[in-house]
Amino acid sequence: MVRPALSGAFKAVKPDAAPKKNRAEDRSELFDEKFLKTLEHLHMVSRKVFAGNLRAERRTRKVGSGIEFADHRTYSRGDDFRYIDWNLYGRLDKLLLRLFEEEEDLSIYVLVDVSDSMSIGSPLPKLHYAMQVAAALTYVGLANLDRVAIIPFAGKLVDRMPPARGKNRIFRVFEFLRNCDIGGKTELAECMKTFVTQNKRRGLAVLISDFYDPDGFEQGLNTLRYNKFEPFVLQVYDKREAEPTLHGDLTLVDCETGDTKEVTISKSLLEAYTAEHEKYCKELEAYCTKYAMPFFRTHTSIPFDELVLKIFRSGGFLR
Amino acid sequence: MSFLGPIPLAVFAWIALGAGALAVSAYIIKMRRRRFEVPFARLWKRVLEQKDANALWKQLKRLISLLLILLILALILFAALDPTLGAVSRSARSVVVLVDASASMKALDGDDTGKQTRLDAAKEKTKALIDSMGGGDLALIMKVDGQATPMSRFSNDAPMLDKIVDGITASDTPADLTRALGAAADALRDRPNPLIVLVSDGAFPEQQLGLVTWTKTGEPVAVDPKIGKGAASWNAKNLASVDLSNIDVRYLPVGKRSDNVGIIAFNVRRYIANKAAYEVYVEIQNFGTEPAHRKLKISNGSNPVDTQLLDLAPGQRVHKIYARLPASDDNKLRASLIAVEGAGGADVFPLDDEAYALLPARKKQKVLMVTEDNLFLEGALLVYDNIDPTKVTPAEYDAKPAIADGMDVVIFDDHTPAVLPMPPASLMFFHPMGENSPFKVSGESSSPHVTEIDEGHPVMRWISMSDVNMDKSAIFSPDPKKGESTLAYYVRDSLIVAKRDGKRKMLAFGFPLQSKSGVTDLPMRVAFPMLLVNALDWFAGDTADLLTTYATGQRQRVPLDGVVGATEAEVKGPDGTTTRTPVIDGLATFYGAHVGYYDLAAKTPDGKTLAQIELAANLASTVESDIAPSTELTLGGKKLEAPEAFAVTRSQKLWIYLILLAMGLILVEWVTYHRRITV
Repeated sequence: MVRPALSGAFKAVKPDAAPKKNRAEDRSELFDEKFLKTLEHLHMVSRKVFAGNLRAERRTRKVGSGIEFADHRTYSRGDDFRYIDWNLYGRLDKLLLRLFEEEEDLSIYVLVDVSDSMSIGSPLPKLHYAMQVAAALTYVGLANLDRVAIIPFAGKLVDRMPPARGKNRIFRVFEFLRNCDIGGKTELAECMKTFVTQNKRRGLAVLISDFYDPDGFEQGLNTLRYNKFEPFVLQVYDKREAEPTLHGDLTLVDCETGDTKEVTISKSLLEAYTAEHEKYCKELEAYCTKYAMPFFRTHTSIPFDELVLKIFRSGGFLR
Repeated sequence: MSFLGPIPLAVFAWIALGAGALAVSAYIIKMRRRRFEVPFARLWKRVLEQKDANALWKQLKRLISLLLILLILALILFAALDPTLGAVSRSARSVVVLVDASASMKALDGDDTGKQTRLDAAKEKTKALIDSMGGGDLALIMKVDGQATPMSRFSNDAPMLDKIVDGITASDTPADLTRALGAAADALRDRPNPLIVLVSDGAFPEQQLGLVTWTKTGEPVAVDPKIGKGAASWNAKNLASVDLSNIDVRYLPVGKRSDNVGIIAFNVRRYIANKAAYEVYVEIQNFGTEPAHRKLKISNGSNPVDTQLLDLAPGQRVHKIYARLPASDDNKLRASLIAVEGAGGADVFPLDDEAYALLPARKKQKVLMVTEDNLFLEGALLVYDNIDPTKVTPAEYDAKPAIADGMDVVIFDDHTPAVLPMPPASLMFFHPMGENSPFKVSGESSSPHVTEIDEGHPVMRWISMSDVNMDKSAIFSPDPKKGESTLAYYVRDSLIVAKRDGKRKMLAFGFPLQSKSGVTDLPMRVAFPMLLVNALDWFAGDTADLLTTYATGQRQRVPLDGVVGATEAEVKGPDGTTTRTPVIDGLATFYGAHVGYYDLAAKTPDGKTLAQIELAANLASTVESDIAPSTELTLGGKKLEAPEAFAVTRSQKLWIYLILLAMGLILVEWVTYHRRITV
């Protein structure tokens, strides 16, 4: 009897077949004109959002050398005469000092998982989706004059785009994301350790990954927390990866470790796997919630721009 | 239970063992699996660790799957053994049921109401016989009419055989019992316990009932006192008789009534001398045992010819001749026996109450002679009643060829025109010459004489030309491919030729009758007027010896006028059905299965009619019209007994149920596999 096997988000490989070129490697069409238009739209929308609540959260209460007026206070000795409000002195006969908000730039580190497991996904590999989200967030950050750095990682920090400001740098971001090396086994803990060592300026660490690390995700996230970074966790998965539609007798091969496992797919097994996947994701979410780390889970079927706006609106991304 | 499969049990055991081993090994052999790349195998491992807790059940499920497959295999192999419930008796029989479907079986005395035919009653009896079959009994149904037609193979499938019996229809032909018995004996050869059951009214000719031998061919037979002692070792009767040695033949009679009056002959012919008149012959017989009364009506198309009342004593046969009846436009004649009021005024067999006949079409032919004054030709034509002759000179014809329009025949006397008359006018030439000759002229012979004629051609019938002299004659080169044939030879030279050219016919004599170019003494011979009459009859498609009325159930060879190249003809029957029949040497094979008028036409592949003839078919059988049923039948001197009930245990074939069960299990296995229940 013929036993048909259907592939879902998984890639069927022939036994002993020569390794094929990673499908996610072709990123030439990743940031096209349509993508740019979407970014512009995001920028417009994000400006409105900033004009509401979020912008205030980013301001410091420090009186600094900004240009926006914040408050008055009584003059005391040693204060800079240049900030005395002479108009008020004329009306009230009191020396009051004008206080300005000092704006500080935010350091945003976008950490993108480029391991082999991220190359899986249909029709869009998770890696491409992650890169599009990363580019979108970077664009919004650049447009708001934040210092944004992009750091791809897998078994180690693969590459690094130095911090940049201003939205005119977005093309450099595209170029970087197109050409950075990808592939390898996920080692989140090791990579985060390296990251905190290399980046002394604290800031927001946006971690985009599927979090399929055989050694667990906890240590990596803790490394960020312990080093005063503010982790923002974005888990990307493919829907058919969570609910596979496989049939028949198969040998499952881990795309990163090469581990194999023989299975006969049954409905109950698929249901158990789906439940297990959900459980794993919930574990990640619970861990993030426990330690007050903003967490988002998304699958590749949700348009990346919709996801980014959702992140903005949640209020957890920028402050 | 018994096993009727063709494979010995020992061999079968080996096959079963092998198939079982194959199925088991298929389960033992490690399956080659497809490899799939997954992003995070750790999740699968965690799931499988939980699943492995149920490993025993998993093994058991695989075992169930194996057992299911072995069960399916066992069922299929068991079915192949053809297991049969019920004991198969050694006395199981091979039966050929001969169902008489001849004309007499149409008699409406199958029941007391007069609505059922004898054939209906025969079908009931046949089905009762089939239903009583059992065990290994096998039956073959054969329809007996003018032919013997097997309607089924040997089978014990009673519903199928019943359906076949229901589909039998009676034809209008006499039964050919000898042919049917021969076919049945051939079918039963080498079969165990052969039995023939004849379901019939017993209306068979005595001759056929005698053509049977009950002893093996080659064995000494009883001495026929008529043949004498000397013939004991080799009896000529054996050659035609049917060998029924070792075959049990039984008879199931049907039919109740015997009163019938029928037309047993109906023929019509033209007078040779006066073709405008015709005579009719009709013969009627009372086959009943009581006096009968009928009204006889003869009609020609819609015109009544005669009606008279007949009073017939039991067994009386009367014949009537209607002489010198005038011709009419309609050539279809019909004789009918009409029931009258009172006792003996009607019967249950209407088939022989109607008879049909045809007159060859006849009309006065318009003949145009293109000749300078030729007394011989004109004088010979004037003595023939059925023509309307006119005469023009060759110069007049050449000036206006349209003068021949509407003519049936144009005769060119020592003149070959440049423009031939339009078809369908048939043409006759005397001494055609030059490039306009309708037949190719290859030369000229001086003082030839006729050495051979084609006596089979209608033009040369009853003609002798051996003493005909002539000055000279053109020699023709006829082309058989164009349908041209030679009617008279001088050694190998063709002197008289004929052909059919589309719708018309042409005849050419190589010699002139009486002219400056030569003379012949043919006009002085008796053959000359006969030759002209034959030629004109041939042109008209009328041959004196053509029969157009045949008896049903007999195969006849019918001449089709002037057919060249056709190998098949189309026969349109009285019921409107069209069949095809072969044409060999211009003769079409005709078999009338029903009484009435038939239309026989030879056509070209593109549907153009080459020749056409109408035929009539009548029952014309005293044996079939004599519907008195025979409660007893003696075949070859042996009285046939009624068949006994088949006392064999009813059997039940199991293979179909086993296969259905196996298919059901395959379905279960398929569903359980795909629902991942047995994996």
